[in-house]
Parts: sequence; C-alpha cells; structure tokens
Amino acid sequence: MSKHKIVGKPIPRYDARAKVTGSLKYADDFILPGMLYGKVLRSIYPAAKILSIDTTEAKRLEGVKAVLTAKDVPNNETVTRFGQSTEVGKGFEGLYRVLADKKVRFMGEAVALVAAETEEIAEQALDLIKVNYEPLPGVFDPEEAMKPGAYLVGESGSNIIGEFGCSQGDVEKGFAESDVIIEDTYRVTFQDHAFMEPESGISWIDDYGVLNIRVSSQVIEHFRDVADVLGIPHNKVRYIGTIMGGGFGGKEDITVESYLALLTWYTKKPVRLVYNRDETFMCHSKRHPFVMKYKVGAKKDGKLVALEAELIGDSGGYPYLSAWVTLYATVNAAGPYVVPNVKVKADVVLTNNTFTSANRGFGAPQPNVAYESIMDELSRKLNIDPVEMRRINCITTGGALSTTGQVFNTYVAFPEAAEKAWEALGEPSDSEDENIKVGRGLAVGLMSYGRMTFLHDTSRCYVKLESDGSVLIRSGIPDLGAGQISLLCQIVAEELGVPMSKIRIYHSDTALTPLAGTTTATRQCYMSGNATLKAAREVRSRILKKAVEILNVNEGNLDIVDENVVVTYDPSQYVSLNKVVKACDTAGIELFCEAQFNAPFTPVPDLSNIRGTTHPDFTFGAQSAEVTVDIETGQVKVNKIVTCYDVGKAINKAAVEGQMEGGSIYGMGYALYEDYQLEKGVPKTLSFAEYRIPSSLDVPEVETILIESGGGLGPYGAKGIGEPACSIIAPALINAVYDAVGVRIKSLPITPDKILKALKEKSL
Amino acid sequence: MKKIPIKFTINGQQREALVQPNDLLINLLRDELYLTGTKYGCGIGECGACTVFLDDELVLACLILAVTVDGKEITTIEGLARGKELHPMQISFLKNAAVQCGFCTPGMIMTAISLMKENPDPSEEEIREYMRGNICRCTGYTQIIKAIKEYAHSMKG
Amino acid sequence: MHTNTRILANKFEYFAPKSLAEALNLLEQYQEKNIKVLAGGTDLLVKMKTVDLNVDYLMYLKDIAELNFINTSNGLSIGATIPFSHIVKEDRIKTEYTALYEAIQAIAAPAIRNMGTIAGNIGNASPAADTVPALVAFDAQVLIENKQSKRTVLLKDIFLGPGKTLLRPDELITRIEVPQVKPNTGSAFIKKSRVKADLAKINLAVAVQRNGQNCEDCKIVFGSVAATVVRAENTEKLLKGKALTEELISQAAQGVADEIKPIDDIRSTAEYRIAMSREMLRDALNLAWARTYSEAKPNLKGGGE
Repeated sequence: MSKHKIVGKPIPRYDARAKVTGSLKYADDFILPGMLYGKVLRSIYPAAKILSIDTTEAKRLEGVKAVLTAKDVPNNETVTRFGQSTEVGKGFEGLYRVLADKKVRFMGEAVALVAAETEEIAEQALDLIKVNYEPLPGVFDPEEAMKPGAYLVGESGSNIIGEFGCSQGDVEKGFAESDVIIEDTYRVTFQDHAFMEPESGISWIDDYGVLNIRVSSQVIEHFRDVADVLGIPHNKVRYIGTIMGGGFGGKEDITVESYLALLTWYTKKPVRLVYNRDETFMCHSKRHPFVMKYKVGAKKDGKLVALEAELIGDSGGYPYLSAWVTLYATVNAAGPYVVPNVKVKADVVLTNNTFTSANRGFGAPQPNVAYESIMDELSRKLNIDPVEMRRINCITTGGALSTTGQVFNTYVAFPEAAEKAWEALGEPSDSEDENIKVGRGLAVGLMSYGRMTFLHDTSRCYVKLESDGSVLIRSGIPDLGAGQISLLCQIVAEELGVPMSKIRIYHSDTALTPLAGTTTATRQCYMSGNATLKAAREVRSRILKKAVEILNVNEGNLDIVDENVVVTYDPSQYVSLNKVVKACDTAGIELFCEAQFNAPFTPVPDLSNIRGTTHPDFTFGAQSAEVTVDIETGQVKVNKIVTCYDVGKAINKAAVEGQMEGGSIYGMGYALYEDYQLEKGVPKTLSFAEYRIPSSLDVPEVETILIESGGGLGPYGAKGIGEPACSIIAPALINAVYDAVGVRIKSLPITPDKILKALKEKSL
Repeated sequence: MKKIPIKFTINGQQREALVQPNDLLINLLRDELYLTGTKYGCGIGECGACTVFLDDELVLACLILAVTVDGKEITTIEGLARGKELHPMQISFLKNAAVQCGFCTPGMIMTAISLMKENPDPSEEEIREYMRGNICRCTGYTQIIKAIKEYAHSMKG
Repeated sequence: MHTNTRILANKFEYFAPKSLAEALNLLEQYQEKNIKVLAGGTDLLVKMKTVDLNVDYLMYLKDIAELNFINTSNGLSIGATIPFSHIVKEDRIKTEYTALYEAIQAIAAPAIRNMGTIAGNIGNASPAADTVPALVAFDAQVLIENKQSKRTVLLKDIFLGPGKTLLRPDELITRIEVPQVKPNTGSAFIKKSRVKADLAKINLAVAVQRNGQNCEDCKIVFGSVAATVVRAENTEKLLKGKALTEELISQAAQGVADEIKPIDDIRSTAEYRIAMSREMLRDALNLAWARTYSEAKPNLKGGGE
C-alpha cells in the first residue's frame, strides 16, 4: 500500500466541534418526560453490622416512588465480568455487591436507593431512612489485615484475596554474587481518577419491555451483569454508552447502572442518577496503595544480578479488579530489565478502606516507583551515568521479561527511549539562588496494551459504504474522551479514501453496534482499530475488485484517493468512487462488512508462578524531568518533563501527543500532590478543595518525543499509549529530587513536608 | 415555598422564569433552559466547569442563586457562536487539539475569552495564572495553553 | 452525613434589600430566626451544600448599591459587597497596600475573585483566609452596624475561633477601614500551599515602616497556624526601633515559631508549618524592607510565592 493519506496527521477530533460548542450530550445532559431522580443512601461507618433498616417513613413521603434495600435486589451478589470470553475462576473475578447486606465493608457503601419526583424530595427521603448499625472494629492497614486473627472484612476466613508470584533463577545465589545490594521499602498511596464528569446515567423501559440505560461507562458489556442483578435475560437490557467526560479506569467497574436498573425496574419510570463530587470521591475505586519491599543486587560494572520483591496491595472493602491489578504489578515488578535471578511475591488484601480497582496504569505505576528509584541509587553507588545504567540492563529486541519470560519479538525501544528522553532535557538550568537546587531524573518502563491474553479478548466492527459514497461505522467502542471513535473514523477514511466529513460513527450501543469490548487496558487502538481495519479493508477490496473491471488494471495498482479509485502509476487514470459504488450496487455486491479481531489466546496461568505470555505486547518508553527544590521550604517546582515512547505509529499525532502530555501530568499529580487520605477508614479528602490535582499554574510544558518503530500489533504498526504515558513520571521526579538535594523520598506523594524532614534528618 | 419571578437576558435573548430561592443558576441553565454546556463538576467552585459570564464578568454558576440574576445578562458557551460560525477561541481550541474529553472545555473557553478581554497579549505565565481555576484532567494543559496563545497571536496580526 | 453539592437542598425565605437601612431592619426583625447574610456565595453556599448549615432566612446583600464601593483617597474604605477583583483594580492597592494586593491575587481564581468579598472572608472566619493577615498587618478596622448603632472593631479582635466572630445576629459588617500607610512603608504577603489554587498551609503578611536605617514599626501576621489569625507581637517588639540586620532577622525567625500554634491536617503538618514560619518571616521581612525604599513591585505571580 502507498504512503498514508490521513493516518499520521494531526486531525481535529470527530467529536471536538460538539464539545467546543457545548452541544454534546453527556450522560447527565439527558432528560426524559416524567423522569424520577435517583439517590443512594450510603454507610456512615467503614465497618459495621446492619441490624435493621426502616424505610417506612421515607416511603410515606409525598413524591417518593421507590425505596429499595438489599432484600429488593433479585441477585445482590454477583461477580462482574468485563466481556471476557473465558472462565477465569472465582477470586479472579470482581465480586460486586449491589447493596450492603448485613455487613458494611467500607464507608460510603450503598445501603439503600431512593427514586423521587425531584432531587430535593429524594434527598429528604434519604434522611428518613433509619439504619440501625452496630459499628465493628474494622481493619485499615493491609499488613495488619494479613495477620492471623485480624478482623475479617468479608465473610471468608482470610482477608487475603489474591496471591501471585513468579520467579526465575536463584535469587539467593544471585545476591551472593552481587557486589552491591540495595534493600528498601517503598510506599504508594490511593490515587483518585478525578475525571471531571461525575458518574451519571439515565434509564427507562422501552415499548417492548427492554430496560435501556444511557450511561457514562468504559464497559458497555456490563449490560449482562445488570441483567443478572435483575434476574432477567441479557437481551432485555440495553446499554447506550455516552461520550465520557474522562474515566481513567474509574468508570470500568459498574457505577450507577445497577441502581438505575433497579429503580426503573420497580417504578417503571425513567430515572436519572448522578453522583455528587463527594460521592465520586468516596464511592468509586482508587488506585491501589502498595507496600513494596525490594532487594536488588548488581555487579560493579552495573549489571543486575538479582531482584526480589514483595508487594502488598490494599484492596479496600471489595475485590473488584484487585486480583487483575496485582497480576499486572507482579509482571511489571522487575521493569524492563534483564535480571537473571528474580523472585516476586504479591498479595492483595481486603481492608475497610475505600475499595480499589482499575486506575490508569493498572498496577504498573506502583512497582515502577520502587525499581526505578533503586536503579537510580545503584547507578549513583556504582558511579554509572543513568542512561548508561539503562544501556547495560534494559531488555532489547528479542529479549524477554525477567518476571514471566514473555519474549518480545517486535522492536524494543531501549536504550533509544532513555537516550532521547535524557538528551531532550538539554542543558541544566542555572539557579540564581543558592537555596534553590536544580536536579534531574530519568525513569524507564514498560506497560502492556491489550488485555491479559488468557481473557481471550475480541472486538468487532461494522463498516458500510452507502450508495451516495458516505460511510457508516458501527462499533461498540466506548469513548473516554481520548479520541477512540475518532480513531476508527480515521482508519476508515484512510482505507476507503473518503474525507472524515463523510463518515458517521454509531458507537457503544449494545443493541445496535457490534460489541467492541471494554475501553480499558489501553486496548481500543489495538483491538477495535484492527477490527475496523479488517472490515474497512474488506469493503475496500470489494470496491477495488469492481474497479479492476472498469479500469482494466491489476488490483495491486489501484488505490482510493479523495473519493476516486486511482491507478497508482498513472493518476490520470481513475474512476470516481461513486461510480464504483453504483456498479457494485447494480451487481448486488455487499459494500458492508462486520469483522472480528481476536487477540492471541493463552491458557490461564499458574498464579503462584506466572510464566510465558500474559499480554499481547508492551509499549516501551522513558520519562525525564528537571526540577528545582528549595532547601528552605522543600518546595518542588517542575521545570520540564520529557516523555518519550515508542508508539509504533501515531495514527492521530495530536491525539497521541495529547495522551502523552495528559498522562505525564496525571503521573505528576500522583507523584507530587494527590493523596486520598483516610483515618480509620473514614475518607478525609472528598472534594477538589481537599484532594488537589494540578492546575495550569502547577505544571510545566510537557515535551513529547514519539518513536514510530512501526512495531506495534495495532493498525499500521501502532501501539497503545493511554496508560503507559502516566506510569513512570513518579520515579523520574523522585530521582530528580534526589539529584537536586540528595534525599530520597520513599513514599508518595513527594511533599515539601517530607523533603524538609528528610533534609533535616540528613544534616543531623 | 413561593416562587419568585425573574427576568434576565440569556445569550442575547430576554427570558423570564419562576424560581425558588434555593434554585441555583447552574440548574436554571441546565434543567430549565436546556443549556447543558455549562457543567456540574464539583458544585463548590473548585473546578471551573460551570464558568459563565454574568454581566460580562466570569462567575461560577454552581455558587449563584438563580433569583439573584434578575435583571442581569448571562452568556454561556452556547451563546458564543454566531449561527454556524464559531467564536475564534472555539476554533483555536479545535485547531490546537485542546479538547479531549471536553467536559472542562466550555468553562475553559469562557475563562480564556475573559482573559483576552482583560489582557489581550498575555505571557505564558499570565495565561497559566489566569486559567488556574479551570481544572482539566486529560490534557496536561499544554495544548490548551497553546490554543490560547495562538488566539492572542492571531488577534494581534 | 450525606451532602448534596448539585442542588441547594436547604429551603429558606429570601430577602434582597435595596438599601442598608432595609437590610438592618430585616436583621433586627429576624435576628432570632436563623438568618444568614449572602454576598459572594463562595463561602456560605459551599457551607450550606457541604456541612449541616441550615438557614431559614437568607438575605442577599449585593443589590445594596451603597455597600458596593471602594474609596482610596484617605486610607482605604472598602464596602461590604465589592468583589476582590474590583478592589485590586485600584492602583493604590498595588503600590501602597502591596501585601493586600498579593493576598487577593493568591485567592483561588478569577471567577472566585469576581464573586467573593472581603467582608465575606471576614465573616466566614476561616483561619486560612488570605486577605485577613494582610488587612490585620495594615491595622484594618471593621465597621459593624445594627439598626440602632454602629461600632468599630479592630479586625484582629473580631475572630473568636474557626467560623466564629463576635458579630451578633442583628449585626452586619458594612465596611472595612484601613488607615493610610505611613511613608516609607513596605509590605509583603507569602503563602505556602500544595498547589497554587489551594488554601494556605500557612500564610503571612508583613508590613514594615522604615525610619532611616531602622525599623520604625512592623506588623507580622500569620494565617492557618492557629484557630484564628496570629499577630507575632513579641517578634514585632524585637524588631521595632532597630536596624534590620541579617542577624536580627535570623533572631526574629528563630523566635517567631513560639508565637504560633499550628496543627497537623490533610494539607500539612505542624512541624512543617513551624519550619515555614521561620523561612517565610525571613523572606517577607526582606521583601517588605526592600519595598520601603522604592516604588513597590508586587509579586504578580499567583499563590504569593
């Protein structure tokens, strides 16, 4: 195929115009006649027994149409599946309880639902529900929760809900052979997704008794779970996914949908339910805090010999996706390094904290903090330049992950990414003030794109060329705001030689669009991109075959450019696309195709010793940062961030750069500011005033460097970039702070308070 | 609670409404006038997603009682375009890929326009300073700042 | 426990007086009936949405034209309803009351500055309010009125604790009066916060009057380090009448921490706040001192860093 026409160009998004005019209808922007307002009553204790719930008075309030509790939920306890084809076994699937029953497991857990004629009445009704609790002691520290005799969060005999491991070589022997050994414990905190659009949706029952839910969700496949909750056939629930106002993993688990479903099912009326911002903070998942005990040994020449890691993750009150996240952390525990002797053990544990689940990076950012800090220490101890340290140790093409042994057959962008990210920092800034120290840090990492291969992931897409030459796409793809739908349009525009303006896409509707799987795991470019490419190429090939008859030229010498089928070696010979379409119509040739793309399928691994392929492929990259640290105040200012990834192929350059810039700042927030704090299970930071994310004034300009190796498994050699972009900026900043002032912060966030304290301790 | 009649101008048009004292401007806009471009992001003035103009000054619709806009003029994101022709700030956001999820975009554009009124030739630092009450989780702000810079530049030329 | 920030669930009766007399009449009439006064809304409405602050009667002040003024001809006279953004438009704020200018610029963001008022800031009695230390440093007084009488209270004496002032339910803050600054006065406001738009971990305003090489008078006022704003009077005494040498400033910085009583909270620790009080005092004194010599050059960067 000739060089790309629209792929690779920075084109405006399909949905951008509707967004700048404010006309785009997000989930909360939709109303229906006779609509009721839903509200959720939430637990005021992190651990308690529910002795009784009295809803009599609430039900009596005028304007209240339903008050529901656990006993009203046909199937209150189900395991959530995320559209995967395989049975991966209990414990490895997210347990999901719709309404708290008998025992409360975290503060803010849903206890009862209300639907009323106005939001105010619904609010009053919540006040009238009497819940009689018996507070229980609870457990709030995962290490405590693991001990025998600890308070039991759930109903089973242990709080440990997942144990993972992998190993190669012999770490004891490795440490014995090491010249330098570094042993340390790193801690990372809860991070909120802080998407701007709160969880929201609206539901109604249509003319044929089907429950419709128009909702902001990353996973429209949850329609099955909602049907299971109600105990009705799957085909009686329809999800219409809206364009999301951000998600970052926070709209991956079910949010408002089961509540909407129950309220509409009982009242037979449309119901709208939108979370308050404080509900958003308290009642949806967070990034897992981890305690990470690391021991790493190296030779004098810098070569890594052994790595041992023990990870403990806090799952909060329910499992949700904790097991999956912990598997990611296990696989990522040794980073992109060649280490002959590795042993990783990871546990994930229930506590009475806010539950944790998917968050951009999904278990990779946590170990990255630990191993990249240690790599920095090693390079300092051994007096080896940070880039050289990566040159010596990084995996290269054909190499394998030291944790699982998964082999990389496509291009591995090391040491290239590290060299480029470091070089782009340029000359170090000067400091005019002797108390302001300049420092620089580097970190490298890898992050999978595509779901775990034992989930047997698939995506489908339908492409149709209309008789007037316009194009219709149907894809179940949910759009987070990262440009997912626009990407599919661009692929079709490329293949069918039509402008973006002639393409319409219908997306994320379980009744009308073929299911494309979840917008999670940085999988849509790879999975739905490939499904769309396959469908578009099929339609293209039918067009070209017909054009061969008209132009009398081999199919290989034809291309579709600007709505003409053109002879590539002689562009003066062409036929209009319209004419070919008409010829196809006349001949009864189908100009539509629904295609399915399958990821590689592997068996479920032995979780105690994970070996072999767990993910389709990985994205490799490096991030570097220059900071200044004020030694009198501990204040950190980030002067510059450089983000360099091998994106394979940037299909929409502006969108890829946007992911890399946004991801860098998402990671910078995690590193420097964001801290979802709890005190004995009671959240303390339930607003944007208390949980601070960076503003325009707090961040530097992010420089992005795209490596386009073409080595990805996505369309045109693209790799996924959404999650990788945020996953290593935290250690780069830790290392930069160390470089500036010689203290290493071992727990996130890197606050001025911690820096000042460390500086004081160092000077003693 | 008795309802109070108010008159106001919304995006150039005279309107009347009956409101309760505790009704908020954001809900008057969204639920009564169906102007849903003004977003609820936090409800306490910390995110900027509900930024609108009230008598030509930026305000946050989540912290204004609807009853207090009696006699005033409100402009929302829906009032910027003239027919099909977008406001040049909207175009600059489009061109510079300053829009990702788009949820912060209306408030961001309103604030950017206000900045241009007060300071037509801002430095990057001044832009960052002025925009700091409008938070965005997707973009990292780089392309938003670029869009505003480019707009200022085009107005000079 | 649940809150709702999407709507204002609290139902109340609403008054929008057009004159001060009318407003004071209403306060007199409803003083025992849980009446609250609304100006910018940036504090009160947030509280009504997020904590159990129930209001039965709400009086809106911004329709009272006579309270929406600022007069800079002889000191500052600031009406109760003039928004922050209009105050800083006055040239004299920047040149003569630099710490106040910097404090206002450190407040959240432009939209909030268009809405919020100084009187609201005072009435809200948040220990972290940015304008309060600056105003106290300039010896601001608050004019409080009820139907029968007026009284003037020093701003620093108005606060009884977080969210608490000595205002009686029938009283209204109508004006803030700030004396004319003396010649050769310089001032500065510094704030430390997590991100720039955040509430202060600790903030500080300093005003210094120079006489030749000596510090004739000085005011040192901290916020966010105790239940109310704190004037470091011992440190002020230490500096008065002396040349501000580096040594003296260091001595002052060492001692100043004894005058504050910070706590640990979600934003910072007591330990950090104490350490910062020393650094900030040093920086603010130097900055204010430099400004006693020349046309004040305020720090235009937000956050008062």
